[in-house]
Amino acid sequence: MLKSLFYIFLFLFSGEAVRYFFDLPVPGNVIAMMLIFFALKAGVLKLEAVKPASDKLIKYMVLFFVPYGVGLMDFVDVIKANWLSLTIAAVASTIITLYVTAIVEQKLEKDG
Amino acid sequence: MDELYRQPVFGVFVTLLAFYVAQAVRHRSKSVLLNPVLVAVSMIILVLVSFDISFEDYNEGGEFLTFFLGPSVVALGVLFYEKFNEIKHNFLPFFISVFTGGMIAVFSVVIIAILLHAPDVVTRSIASKSVTTPIAIEVTQILKGIPSVTAGVVIIVGIFGNAFGPGILKLMGIKSKHALGTALGTAAHGIGTARALEEGELTGAYSGLAMCVNGILTAFAAPYVTEWVLKLMA
Repeated sequence: MLKSLFYIFLFLFSGEAVRYFFDLPVPGNVIAMMLIFFALKAGVLKLEAVKPASDKLIKYMVLFFVPYGVGLMDFVDVIKANWLSLTIAAVASTIITLYVTAIVEQKLEKDG
Repeated sequence: MDELYRQPVFGVFVTLLAFYVAQAVRHRSKSVLLNPVLVAVSMIILVLVSFDISFEDYNEGGEFLTFFLGPSVVALGVLFYEKFNEIKHNFLPFFISVFTGGMIAVFSVVIIAILLHAPDVVTRSIASKSVTTPIAIEVTQILKGIPSVTAGVVIIVGIFGNAFGPGILKLMGIKSKHALGTALGTAAHGIGTARALEEGELTGAYSGLAMCVNGILTAFAAPYVTEWVLKLMA
């Protein structure tokens, strides 16, 4: 567990370092996510070496964003003033996204 | 001595307690509206408001938990690797669908929000609404929106996709299980993926992978797309 946690943080730190030195407008953790994927793919890193920590992190990921949700309490005014446009934009866009993604995949699969 | 609730342990303790209770509630009832995050957040806000404790004080502890969102995104890369083998024979159609859907997700939400005259800061906060919370929040920070609004909308979108996604898609004539999974992961991230897993192991794999791919795409493209549309429609 400790070793796998070490690897996760090693990649996270590398991702942040890449972002810092190249001054990229992409989050360091997203760069780290890609780095760890390619390391696994290239066989530099074994799945068993990171799986214990990564499984736990995925399992409890929802817990980690609870404090952000609680932060909503400071923005009650913003929500109150915009709840209708927020709801319509989010719901309509989600339906459009679901449909477009699904229809493209279904069409391409059939043709392919 | 400082007030007890100002110590970091308070925020951590309250969050763990609320989350534990919310999970217990989930075990008793399968209703999507009883989403553990939604229930936990509501309970914590209720406690803070009742005892007149500020978010700032709560977050002395809360931010210790928030910190783990960073390593969680790295863990998504590991999940991505695990699922990749299951779909690599079908990767190109899959990638094109996620790319198209992911771009439409950002464009449509930004355009609709502008048409509804939402303030700039709100539009910036919901541009990344389709991707997993840790990435969505990073995008909002780049766009100078309000991360908490993002967190709220992302969860609502996930619950909506989870509850109604499969029904809507069937109604619209989608039959492919792969298409269902890809759409749920692209539009409704992890909470949508939870539903895709109920539809089957392979549907879940497509969904999980779609969530990872769209997360990466959105992290790169959403800040540019949003600024561009905002400027164009100003």
